[in-house]
Amino acid sequence: MNKLDIQHLYWRAGFGISPKQLELLSQKTREEIVGDLFSKAKIHQPLYVDTSEFDTLSYEQFSRTKKTEREYIAKSRIKIKELNHEWVYRMSHTNNVLNEKVTLFWINHFSCHDRNILHLQNFNNTIRYQGLGNFGDLVKAVSREATMIKYLDLRQNKKNRPNENFARELMELFTLGVGNYTEEDIKEAAKAFTGYSFDFEGNFVFNESNHDNGFKYPFGKAGRYDGDDIIDTILEQKTCAEFICTKMYRYFVSDTISPDHIEEMVAVFYPKYEIEPVLKYMFSQDWFYKKEFIGNKIKSPIDLLVGISRVVPLNFKETNQLFHTQRLLGQKLFHPPNVAGWKGGRSWIDSNTLMIRLKLPSLLLSQAYISTNENKESLKTLSKNTAKKENKSNYKVSVDWKAFNSDFKDVPIENLTNYLLQSPINKGTQEYLDRLVKSSKKDYCVQIMSLPEYQMC
Amino acid sequence: MDRRKFIKNSSLASSLFFVPSFVKAFSNHISAETGYKRLVVIQLTGGNDGLNTLIPFRDDNYYKARPTIGLKKEDLINLDKDLALHSSLLPLKKMYDKGFLTIINNVGYPNPNRSHFRATDIWQTASRSNQYLQSGWIGRYLDQNKNPWGAIELDQSLSLALKGETQNGLAIQNAHSFFRATQDPYLKNVSKYYDEAHLNEHNMGYLYKTMIDAESSAKYIYETSKTVSSAIDYPNHHFSKQLKTTAQFINSGLKTKVYYGSLNGFDTHVNQKGTQKRLLSIYAESMEAFIKDLQAKNTFNDTLILTFSEFGRRVKQNSGHGTDHGSANAIFLMGGKLKKLGIYNNLASLSDLDDNGDLKFEIDFRDIYATVLNKWLDVNHEAVLLNKFNQLDFI
Repeated sequence: MNKLDIQHLYWRAGFGISPKQLELLSQKTREEIVGDLFSKAKIHQPLYVDTSEFDTLSYEQFSRTKKTEREYIAKSRIKIKELNHEWVYRMSHTNNVLNEKVTLFWINHFSCHDRNILHLQNFNNTIRYQGLGNFGDLVKAVSREATMIKYLDLRQNKKNRPNENFARELMELFTLGVGNYTEEDIKEAAKAFTGYSFDFEGNFVFNESNHDNGFKYPFGKAGRYDGDDIIDTILEQKTCAEFICTKMYRYFVSDTISPDHIEEMVAVFYPKYEIEPVLKYMFSQDWFYKKEFIGNKIKSPIDLLVGISRVVPLNFKETNQLFHTQRLLGQKLFHPPNVAGWKGGRSWIDSNTLMIRLKLPSLLLSQAYISTNENKESLKTLSKNTAKKENKSNYKVSVDWKAFNSDFKDVPIENLTNYLLQSPINKGTQEYLDRLVKSSKKDYCVQIMSLPEYQMC
Repeated sequence: MDRRKFIKNSSLASSLFFVPSFVKAFSNHISAETGYKRLVVIQLTGGNDGLNTLIPFRDDNYYKARPTIGLKKEDLINLDKDLALHSSLLPLKKMYDKGFLTIINNVGYPNPNRSHFRATDIWQTASRSNQYLQSGWIGRYLDQNKNPWGAIELDQSLSLALKGETQNGLAIQNAHSFFRATQDPYLKNVSKYYDEAHLNEHNMGYLYKTMIDAESSAKYIYETSKTVSSAIDYPNHHFSKQLKTTAQFINSGLKTKVYYGSLNGFDTHVNQKGTQKRLLSIYAESMEAFIKDLQAKNTFNDTLILTFSEFGRRVKQNSGHGTDHGSANAIFLMGGKLKKLGIYNNLASLSDLDDNGDLKFEIDFRDIYATVLNKWLDVNHEAVLLNKFNQLDFI
């Protein structure tokens, strides 16, 4: 498999690839490399932070007074930030990248927020565990998660007093998409999801007495349906497979949809809804490696952050700084803007987020300094803005340049762009790069990562 | 606009404006020029319950539908014989009395959508409920207006409302940090060398154009706005800070036509009363301070403030002492040059609801946009809203 294609695959199914690994894989076939990604993803490693202080916590203790309740919620909030940090660390260091990328995809698909670390952690691991399994099972599992039940008010959805929030988002965002159901379908489905609840630890509890056992009439059918039946009924509709495949395509392939490609994917996905085969199919097609798709997606903030730390291993010493950075970039993990999640694509970019993205590599790696030193011939012609070296970054990060040096040992400095950039470089920008003194790989790496081109994958 | 022309225009603009703002620094008593009209749009995010904001307190149907969350007469501020304001909205009552407030009831659109995301999209893009647009109505106004700092959102990130086909608004919370972020010598060189072929056509062109816009806009906005400061006390809240910065921008004479802010948290499915009370008082107190700030610099008469929420809520309360997503809602207009004051139209009937148990809409929100575009921002609304809409007579 050629190197550019491998890099493309690894950016879309992961967060980039190191020169050493790239060299190793370039001897293999596409089938082997794609197969290897999936076989690594078979091993699930749950993501946990230390929550032992909550181990013996009972509901009585928790809710003794308003004050104790507030204290536990505050503790939980800190733990959620730690989980966020742990996840970024995992994505930056794991060799099971596909599992993490797919988890990110579904976490944004089943967009949720929770203040309870235990519930949120379970939710995240349910998705991590089932993300490459069966889509129907995944939706059913998600509907039983305490985090989801809370987020979309399923506990308030009771017999004769329905709350439609979950039923609506189930159809609009999780399975069918706007326009493929009626208000009537939502009302009927809401009745089927009555009785969903959970205990203090977050285990699913089905509350028989709140469940509406009567007939429901969704999608022109009739029956004493429960929640799972509704999900099965939805999945019978091919529209659901189309909706999910389109979303996968947008996330893994391109912002612009090709109906032919979607049709091929649906043929694999429908009616069994197995996730692994459809993704494997997608990564194996010639069209996946078309020139127009390579380097033409705008990285998400997490892709960018993780991508940088997979080139130069780094870790935030202060969780809050990582969290703040995510806020500025517009993607706080576990804090989606709303139930529709992040839109992706160009919506990641505006004046603010872009300037932060461009400054981020230097802020993290070189005290905010990006060298402007030019070679001798260039200096004669024009005088331009020049950077003065001063200590300007407040970031507390540990940076492992040694690992970078060893990874890039065999890469000639002038070839660095081939390993760091996926998209072609603008002509004018290339002229500027040509003027620069290239004596330090470290400086040049920061310079390349500070380009608009580095925002693409 | 190609890049050279753009840079020429913007450097021309900043050198033009630099002098007056420089002078202003030494003569703070001179007010900003009059006659430059601005629009401030505020979204109450999450779907504010209009029926507990503007309350039909004489209607028994209201109390029947809301046995626990219906607001009692002693908790209300009467506006006229049928309608009263939530007790948190005393500052709005003062504006009402001074003739600074117009309330338009039953604003919505046909076949309303009740999802936050989609309803927000519809309001922000001014689309029909079955139509998907990738640009916002203010963004398309910017496409016409072609001013890189024509619209500012006072937030960390930009809403779809301010994204045009070729021109975006800016997201700025703090002018100084925005400026500092654009001053890196290396990045300035990169944008100087950029070869503008295919500007904005591909994702890459979009990135470069955004970068170039950011540099010139940040400089202009920072240098212009730093000349004024505010003497007004604002409440201590994120939303109040947005308005304070907006007032600073407006009072400095910044050539920005539209400002966009938002107050979040109105999705009150459960235990609505306390949450809404708190949020409405933040809203009202912040607006009061904002208007005072503008009045102090004589800019209030040239400012129109439009407040909306993506939808109202169901008339009947739910089992969790809250309300589910509804449809038609009231919008607030504030300004010194309103034509029709107070309550613009009667509240829709609570006994004649739509199939979902929501208020029936009477006025299309795009009629309001069209009116603002034509009569306030002086552009042809059809080019921006992609259709012809009615003109109302509130301004």
